[in-house]
Amino acid sequence: MSEMSRKRILVIDDAALVRTYYRAALEPRGFIVEEALNGVEGLEKLLLEPFDLAIVDVNMPQMDGITFLQTLRAKELPVSGIPVLVTSSEAGTQDLTAARRAGANYYLVKPIRQETLADYAAMFCGEPR
Amino acid sequence: MMPDAAPEITEDEFRRLADFLYRRTGMVFTETKRYYVERRILERIVATSSPSFAAYFTHLRSGIRDEVEHLINAFTVNETYFYREDHQLACLSDDLLKERVAAKRPGDSIRIWSIPCSTGEEPYSIAIWLLENWKDVDAYDIEIVGSDIDTRVLDAAAEGIFGKRALMRLSPELIARYFHERDDERWQILDDLRQSVRFSRVNLIETRETRPQGRFDVIFCRNVLIYFDDESRRIAAENLYDNLLPGGFICLGHTESMSRISPLFEVCRYSGAIVYRRPQELRA
Repeated sequence: MSEMSRKRILVIDDAALVRTYYRAALEPRGFIVEEALNGVEGLEKLLLEPFDLAIVDVNMPQMDGITFLQTLRAKELPVSGIPVLVTSSEAGTQDLTAARRAGANYYLVKPIRQETLADYAAMFCGEPR
Repeated sequence: MMPDAAPEITEDEFRRLADFLYRRTGMVFTETKRYYVERRILERIVATSSPSFAAYFTHLRSGIRDEVEHLINAFTVNETYFYREDHQLACLSDDLLKERVAAKRPGDSIRIWSIPCSTGEEPYSIAIWLLENWKDVDAYDIEIVGSDIDTRVLDAAAEGIFGKRALMRLSPELIARYFHERDDERWQILDDLRQSVRFSRVNLIETRETRPQGRFDVIFCRNVLIYFDDESRRIAAENLYDNLLPGGFICLGHTESMSRISPLFEVCRYSGAIVYRRPQELRA
């Protein structure tokens, strides 16, 4: 598989251990994984480079996942149209609704199995093979 | 390198130095360890260009250029490897964390302390083990802290570069997943894993140094209490108790027993290991 055809995913999470966990889930499935530590850095990366999917945590310092989504969706196309998978440890309907209103494509409640995350990534980006 | 004419260290000088080290570190150096201690002192006498033991001892006590720290660094034993005593890691993921999260909500913090952490094998092992074996690893805010009295090992730990020996218990798959191979038969742990552990210098018997570390859910304190005498062990145990959340656990080395050191803890037997717990409520 050439570098060109590989799908690029931006993981936005402040926890280094969680980023490692997601990377270990996605890389073996052929995705290229980039990282950001909060919403501000995530936006910056999305504006600079093309991505096929962003996976974003809700609870983060500087800029949380919901604010990130609202800001992203208010940008110009095509960057505003990037699929965003929200991950959160909050399982309540309020949280899910807030994410959906902000423009989330899907909402996964932590803990997330590595296979599950990679399956959802493949559904958004297309199976990388 | 030893000096050509090594300065003699008399029995009295040895005792004074051992006494000084004991007061500063809690480590006991008896006559039986004299050869080992003497070699390290001679190294430092040469390194500091001291003309005699007496001159060196004065230099040491004056605190100039952190000589105490240099001497302590020369004494501490720092050899370990990844996944050492992994039955305790299994106990952590199978039993201890299950109990700890019972009263927590997803997203809450879980704090784990590795002291002494040496060059980082233990705290990084904990991180890798949890990534591989604990299904809730992404659901809690896991904070791993590695502490040691030896500042040299802390620098090495933060750098996270390891040789073959340190990795001998890890499968090739795990090494490929969590390390970059360098060109010198050494491996560096991934940046994210390096960032997932915070390192700090702490002397276990100095309450003013242990207390600021805060309270932990689980403490790994393996194979260090054996170097202490009864009094230092008791102080260390009290500090460890202070650093545990009520209901928090402490794991010692497999030859060590807290029951002989302190009555503060209750012993807990799990299938994989024996660990000690800070009781939920203070005893009446």
